[in-house]
Amino acid sequence: MKVIEIKDLHKIYNSTEVKVHAVNGVTLDFDEAEFATIVGPSGSGKTTLLNLLGGLDMPTSGQILIDGTDLSTLKSSALIDFRMRNIGFVFQAYNLIPVLTAQENVEFIMSLQKMAASEREERTFELLKAVGLADRADSRPAKLSGGQQQRVAVARALASRPKFVLADEPTANLDTKSASVLLEIMEKLNKEEKITFIFSTHDPRVVKMAHRVITLEDGKVVSDEER
Amino acid sequence: MITAISWKNVWRNKTRSLIVIAAVTVGVFAGVFSMAAINSSVLQRIDAAVNEELSHIQVNNKDFRSSTDVRNVITDYPHVISALESTPGVTNVTGRIIIRGIASTAAKSTGVEISGIDVNKEREMFKLYERLIPGTGSYFEEETRYNSVFIGEKLAKELNIIRYIITDESLEYLAEEKVSSAVISKLETLKGQRYTSDKKLVKAYEKLLDPSEAEKYWWQIKEAAWSYREGSKLILTFLDTDNNQTGAAFRVCGIFRTNNDMFEELAVFVPEDELRLLAGMEEGTYHRAIARLENDDLTKSVTREVESKLPDYEVMNWKEIQPDLAMITDFMGQIYAIFMVIILAALAFGIVNTMLMAVLERTRELGMLMAIGMNRRKIFVMIMLESIFLSIVGGFAGMAVSEVVIAVTGKTGINLVKYSEGMEAMGYSAHLYPTIDIQFFITTTILIVITGIISSIYPARKALKLNPIEAIRTE
Repeated sequence: MKVIEIKDLHKIYNSTEVKVHAVNGVTLDFDEAEFATIVGPSGSGKTTLLNLLGGLDMPTSGQILIDGTDLSTLKSSALIDFRMRNIGFVFQAYNLIPVLTAQENVEFIMSLQKMAASEREERTFELLKAVGLADRADSRPAKLSGGQQQRVAVARALASRPKFVLADEPTANLDTKSASVLLEIMEKLNKEEKITFIFSTHDPRVVKMAHRVITLEDGKVVSDEER
Repeated sequence: MITAISWKNVWRNKTRSLIVIAAVTVGVFAGVFSMAAINSSVLQRIDAAVNEELSHIQVNNKDFRSSTDVRNVITDYPHVISALESTPGVTNVTGRIIIRGIASTAAKSTGVEISGIDVNKEREMFKLYERLIPGTGSYFEEETRYNSVFIGEKLAKELNIIRYIITDESLEYLAEEKVSSAVISKLETLKGQRYTSDKKLVKAYEKLLDPSEAEKYWWQIKEAAWSYREGSKLILTFLDTDNNQTGAAFRVCGIFRTNNDMFEELAVFVPEDELRLLAGMEEGTYHRAIARLENDDLTKSVTREVESKLPDYEVMNWKEIQPDLAMITDFMGQIYAIFMVIILAALAFGIVNTMLMAVLERTRELGMLMAIGMNRRKIFVMIMLESIFLSIVGGFAGMAVSEVVIAVTGKTGINLVKYSEGMEAMGYSAHLYPTIDIQFFITTTILIVITGIISSIYPARKALKLNPIEAIRTE
């Protein structure tokens, strides 16, 4: 079953004197429970493609359909709501809310969705356990290591049971051990929760674990390899 | 959860938040306390005007105020009294004979307004007897009532009834007041000298004392040297009903001290029977009927009612008699407004500045929140709540400090005796007892919250303009 359909997607930045064709005619599909990575040299359009997929940026032309919904047809507020319900984000710099504990950070998005408190707590516990941080539920981000913070970020991304998770260079700030632990957790959750994970990365460890590797160059898909 | 995050965000940078809260606290306190001090000054003045000088409503013969003729009496006094007494809200009524004349002693003479009063009724209606300076006699005690006159301290000074003499008692008083022994020994050289005014006394001791000593102890020295001979005489002269000059010698039975120099200098009280006899007025005649009301709020309505009942007379309330006082009362509202604008503007700038810094510092976090699905309304609310929390904490702390300081100084008073000359010349007390209406506290609290909301708009809008992609990338 197709979760994401990308049709002839273009993104051109006109802000500088030179036009930059960051995404140039990309057409791709992602199925449920995929564990895919987008690779390519710097400036190849990976992050732009991820931003477009996440509805954080609008394409110049082309379509992105998520579960049949065309993102370009959604108004600003509807798009934010759509993101909240359907897309999970994991950022390179973790971006947790520093004044909240690990548990509260995971619960936060569910409270935005107005999920019942008991259900929220249950889901939070389940996710923190899954990422191996059940015992650190009451710790604030400043008390957690980088790897632990990124695991909380993964738990947060999954909290709202999204259709897919976008992870932009999730291991870039982590040491080898932390990165391996994180990747194993994500792979496990991908299988258990049947949620599609899409990474943009330079990290060969991520590429090695991915089930599908899409290579971009100059904004175009140059290879799309299933493993 | 947004409320909880906002509250936690306030305490994220504790030092900065505490500085803002302290600034708001000081600002609110300064404003509220100044307001309470001004308010007390005005209330004390109104209280004095109503309770010591004017009462609420006065009824005169229509020509009385424009002419000094003693014959301008209330023609049908019993009718006026019954009209006043039958008006709802009126609690007490009395009459006064009022004659402009001259008060003189061997040393000086000055113009005065002589009031012939029903001593017992006046005691019920006015509190002037409470203003008697201890040791200067009594307020028309039975044995001294005949030929007695009750006068103000300012007039007593003017007529040299009060003098300044340094005696052994004065020096003892200064020692009790903990004036330094060096100062007391210097003042001993002035012992036995008489000074007809406090200014002359000051000139004399300034030659002996260091400027700092003179400055520090001037009030105590003045009080110590203050001297009055009980039963001093003064002559009151005025025109009678036949336009002949008449008068008599009166003994000072007591001296009152108020905060109103002009009143102290002009008002002279004698029993009505003696004055009526001297002026050749008929039994039962008065120049003025005075009414006291249940409360001040009734003044306007009762005045209008009495006016309709007594169209042939001049009916005036204290606000009409002293329009300057009425103006100040009305002006208080505007002073409140000016103070509030100053307090709230300071509060608003402090909060806008802090919140802008907070938004700029948290650009990446706000971008992340937008990305994961926190809508703009919620982000706006979150920033707004932070501003409101800051203003509420600071505002309430300021109110609490104000409440405590006002409660304490309201009991102990603030002594502005250094400025007493200027203040009392205008009729205001140099002892302030700050007081503020509960309504002012409520209004201020509401306005602080509104200011918190308004001052959050700019920083919150700034946050809404962030682009999530750029915000997330910001280091």
